[in-house]
Amino acid sequence: MFKLLRNIKAITSAMLIGDWLIFVASSMLIIVLFQQLWSHEHATTVQIRLGDTVYGTYSLNQQRDIHVKGTIGNATISIMNGKARFAQSPCHNQYCVHQGWLSRSGQAAICLPNQLSLELVGETKHYDSLNY
Amino acid sequence: MQINTTLDDHRIAKLAAFAIALHMLEALIPSPLPGVKPGIANIVTLYVLYKYNFTSAAWVSILRVFASSLLLGQFLSPTFILSLAGALFSLGVLWLSMHLPRKYFGAVSLSMIAAFAHIAGQLMIVRLWLIPHASVAYLIPIFALAALFFGVVNGLITHQLLNNSSEKIDSASST
Amino acid sequence: MRKGLSTVLTVAICCIAILGFIVYQKPPLYHSQSFVFGTLVDISIYGEPEERAKSLSNEILQDFQHLHHQLHAWKPVSENQVSELGALNLAFASQNKPLNISPLMIEVLQDATKLSKQSNGLFNPTIGHLIGTWGFQADEFAATSVDDKKISALVSANPSMDDIVVTNNSAYSTNSSVKLDLGGYAKGYALDRAVRYLRKQYVKHALINIGGNIIALGQHGDKPWRVGIQHPRKPSAIATLDLLDGWAIGTSGDYQRYFMLDGKRYCHIIDPRTGYPVQHTQAVTVLIPPQAPYHSQAGVLSDVASKPIFIEPAESKSKIATAMGINHFMVINQSSQVFVTKEMQNKLTWLDQDFKKHAYVQTTTQH
Repeated sequence: MFKLLRNIKAITSAMLIGDWLIFVASSMLIIVLFQQLWSHEHATTVQIRLGDTVYGTYSLNQQRDIHVKGTIGNATISIMNGKARFAQSPCHNQYCVHQGWLSRSGQAAICLPNQLSLELVGETKHYDSLNY
Repeated sequence: MQINTTLDDHRIAKLAAFAIALHMLEALIPSPLPGVKPGIANIVTLYVLYKYNFTSAAWVSILRVFASSLLLGQFLSPTFILSLAGALFSLGVLWLSMHLPRKYFGAVSLSMIAAFAHIAGQLMIVRLWLIPHASVAYLIPIFALAALFFGVVNGLITHQLLNNSSEKIDSASST
Repeated sequence: MRKGLSTVLTVAICCIAILGFIVYQKPPLYHSQSFVFGTLVDISIYGEPEERAKSLSNEILQDFQHLHHQLHAWKPVSENQVSELGALNLAFASQNKPLNISPLMIEVLQDATKLSKQSNGLFNPTIGHLIGTWGFQADEFAATSVDDKKISALVSANPSMDDIVVTNNSAYSTNSSVKLDLGGYAKGYALDRAVRYLRKQYVKHALINIGGNIIALGQHGDKPWRVGIQHPRKPSAIATLDLLDGWAIGTSGDYQRYFMLDGKRYCHIIDPRTGYPVQHTQAVTVLIPPQAPYHSQAGVLSDVASKPIFIEPAESKSKIATAMGINHFMVINQSSQVFVTKEMQNKLTWLDQDFKKHAYVQTTTQH
């Protein structure tokens, strides 16, 4: 496979004009997706969701552990120094725990088996206009 | 009761077995990000689509999903549902894009399209069923990028297989 | 070699295409801020081409300027020309023969009379003399020493909307102490006019904020317009809520126009029964549901209805709210305690955790 990758001539001969077209179009789409869906702003709060409901929203400016009972068991979410993470989870594969610390707005960690997720929310404009 | 098996059935069984093997192999490879997989078993699906027909490719793909999940003990688990959704969606899109002019769109096109459809189907299930949460959107670009990369690589491999060693898989699976 | 060149070219074209796409993708939100009415006017229009949004918002601003000239209580239009309201006030004071007034003024007077009655006279736009005495009829106001005698005289003169007689095209007053100040009405009236204008122009999505009073038209893209409610003592919002199509929100607060004297806060909201600024409440926010699209008074109500609730003491607030037909309201009293109706609470998303924890939800607005 890697030999093949290195063989640029083989690649270019294998790819027809339509292949290039699709490749370029999807590359563009991916760039736009990154642009649209990844905002790199500093986060201020973390939103914990359980199933389709918001379990709670917590400030990142604190040091605490939050214990949440998910669909398969108790998980622990740690908040520290403007970051949040799954510290402990009852799920088998521990993907959520391995995701580590989340610090940027829009970042999320998901625990599929436990139907639990963290999402960092940033200091975006919370409203369109102010009533005063 | 007797089941009559045709030559086609045997061929499908052989190729599906090969796809299952690749699928299992892939399950052993650790992934840096959950859900991002090369999807090398799709090479077999594509190969069958080109060598034989869509029906055979569909059989190989669906058999692979069911058999692998049974072997890995994931049958009817979320992983299985995701796998099935991806395969079905991918097949549907393949059926449509099969009709693209062969002159301009080769195996790499179909491979990319299939890879995108695969993750699209899976992400839809994730969003609608497993995690009804907007944050899933955050993962879309990563999955899409992986799909593009592996789509191209798998497509190139398929192309190579079809051109250079057209009998390789058949003979490999029959020995 | 050729191939490599064409690849570079393709990549370059793609980059340009992506850039163009991103620019094109910019959400079509037009936003303008300007000072009219002696206050901040903030117009957001969504989903219209920028040029059109700009001209629409200029049209609205011009109309506001126009209204301002007609309805302003103390600012003359120019050096030797008073506003229509100013002229009317002069006529009221001198008890002359009826003064011819514009159809707009007739409409305003009749409507204000109705609302004044509904509020048991707590919404009383005829106490211009009192407001002036407290020094609030000026852009800049300093701490005024309190002239108790003058105030009690002005209160006992008992000016009210009932003293104003409106005929076909003219008006006169049977009480010379009547001096109209539409400070608690004009902004809301302007909101309703703006929304009516935008609807006529087939604009689907807009958010208009005049000095804190907000009305919504349609929504902001795929989500509703969201407004924040100002903390009465901090430079932040205490809560947000989604303002759906046709809804309006208004707040009366003691932090908007006030002065401090001997450690006491004197705000611009004056109890017409005593003649003194209200001191038991920090803020009252009302939320007005949509009404018939082309006769909507949601804006006026959002401006007017918060005042009587602000003025009444705690035990009577619910009663007057009911009289005004208000179900959604929130009160923050002088000890920063929050009282909120259930209907209102359901709409709010709290940002301020202290308020969230200590908000008293009233299960019913009726007593």
